[in-house]
Amino acid sequence: MSVESSGNTEITLEIAGLSHSFLHNGAAEPVLRNISLSIRRGELVCLVGRSGCGKSTLLKIIAGFLSPSRGHCLLEGRPISGPGPDRCVVFQEEALFPWLTVRENIAFGLRGKRWTPAIRNHQVDRFIELVGLRGYDEHLPRALSGGMKQRVALARVLILSPLILLMDEPFGALDAQTRDEMQELLLSLSQERSQTILFVTHDVQEAVTLADRVLLMDQDSGRIREDVRVELERPRDRSAPPFQQYCIQLHQLLRQTGPRPMIAD
Amino acid sequence: MKGKEALLALLLPLTALTLWFAVSAVGLVPVYLLPHPLTVWDAGIRYIFGNAGQGAYAGRFLVDLAASLTRVLLGFSLAAVLGIPLGILSGRLALVNRLFSSAINGLRAVPGICWLPLAMIWFGIGIKTTVFLVAIAAFFPIYQNTLTGARLVAPIYYQAGAMLGVSRVRGIFAILLPMAMPNIITGLRLGMGISWAYLVLGELTGVPNGLGAVIMDARMSGQTEIILVGIILIAMIGRICDRLLVSLMRLCFKSARRQI
Ligand SMILES: Nc1ncnc2c1ncn2[C@@H]1O[C@H](COP(=O)(O)OP(=O)(O)OP(=O)(O)O)[C@@H](O)[C@H]1O
Ligand SMILES: [Mg+2]
Repeated sequence: MSVESSGNTEITLEIAGLSHSFLHNGAAEPVLRNISLSIRRGELVCLVGRSGCGKSTLLKIIAGFLSPSRGHCLLEGRPISGPGPDRCVVFQEEALFPWLTVRENIAFGLRGKRWTPAIRNHQVDRFIELVGLRGYDEHLPRALSGGMKQRVALARVLILSPLILLMDEPFGALDAQTRDEMQELLLSLSQERSQTILFVTHDVQEAVTLADRVLLMDQDSGRIREDVRVELERPRDRSAPPFQQYCIQLHQLLRQTGPRPMIAD
Repeated sequence: MKGKEALLALLLPLTALTLWFAVSAVGLVPVYLLPHPLTVWDAGIRYIFGNAGQGAYAGRFLVDLAASLTRVLLGFSLAAVLGIPLGILSGRLALVNRLFSSAINGLRAVPGICWLPLAMIWFGIGIKTTVFLVAIAAFFPIYQNTLTGARLVAPIYYQAGAMLGVSRVRGIFAILLPMAMPNIITGLRLGMGISWAYLVLGELTGVPNGLGAVIMDARMSGQTEIILVGIILIAMIGRICDRLLVSLMRLCFKSARRQI
């Protein structure tokens, strides 16, 4: 027992027996069924699954925007109740505050930190620099490209050093080249601060590029079906055969997650 | 570019003025229906800058302006103070919306002029009646636009706020109001516009001063040029109030400055 609890301190997020249903015309329609997973500190985990399998729903539950029908969700051993700055989300859609400049958007969450203005300004400057937006401090979101907006969205949550960063297809709306840039940026930022990340995507290549571990979600059963550890050196070379091997394996697994009889366990 | 736009804006008024001069020069319309522009100009100058001895309305402008402005501002402020919070509550809380929306929509369908007799019975002749009319009229656009603005704020912004540590109550000021600001300003501007219309209606009831009172009074004494002076002044002051309102909002709120 004591061994197990000492191991638990390494675990940032622990989900057990989590189920969630939405009401459709009065009938409860299950979306997530008996999900269990755990994420270690500093790990970058990608959650992959078909559209509509419940990835966003799971993320919203972890973020505290939704409370699950059943099961529990522990962050560093404490149950999650409601949203908070220890679990920040980078959304797929634009969610910057349109009346605030880049600088003000990034500083928005710092109110709770009780930093002195000098420290706050210094930190904001540092993060503007880190995400490569120097010179854009005073721009409003509407004057930024999609990629730049996501840089701001990343900076405004990284600056809070959340226990876990939740990312819901954050680069899905970007063109291929910008997406590559953003992936590199995310990797460099998360590794140097060993940020724990749960990253939702339906792009297998993106998952293999980023992840330490890939979780595959099953549409029909609403569970996590596979847990694949990506044992590739970083920086990862996409043209290398082992990389391709992972992609092929995940693609095949993903194809099997379509309509098929449920496995009882 | 700016000059071109200004010219375009002036095109219609200038054309109308030219036509007016032409009509008066030819004598197409009798002067008691439409006085010569210069007569109106003179009457306007006397009304604004004259001394009390120079004629019936000479020098009354400032007193009338002060009276009308007080009524408009009181009525408008009342409408804003009620309309914005109610609009926000109705936009965010389904229960409040159900409670208010049918009643408010029903009241809105009542033509404004119907309130006049009732207001006169309730408040008598004087400032209260006019303020009441202005407040009633300005309330609806302010309420409705605020409601729309509050309703249109996507949940993702509250979620973003919540994860960045904004409590529900502070979210009203930190997120909801700034997001709804463009709609709120639209509502306030519409409300301000309609305030001037209802001011004149309220002042038709025999109050001694005010821009509307002057118009009505001039009709009795058959001074068409004073009626025209009143109309032109109200149009100009209404426009100035609109600009001032927008400037004031922009001055006070970052969210107004950067979103409109
Ligand atoms: N608020 C809601 N009310 C009712 N049903 C919902 C709600 N949100 C999601 N659903 C349903 O839950 C299921 C999972 O939705 P979810 O958004 O989690 O999928 P997803 O895996 O994120 O898909 P995508 O990759 O397209 O974003 C869908 O069938 C959807 O119809
Ligand atoms: Mg989704």
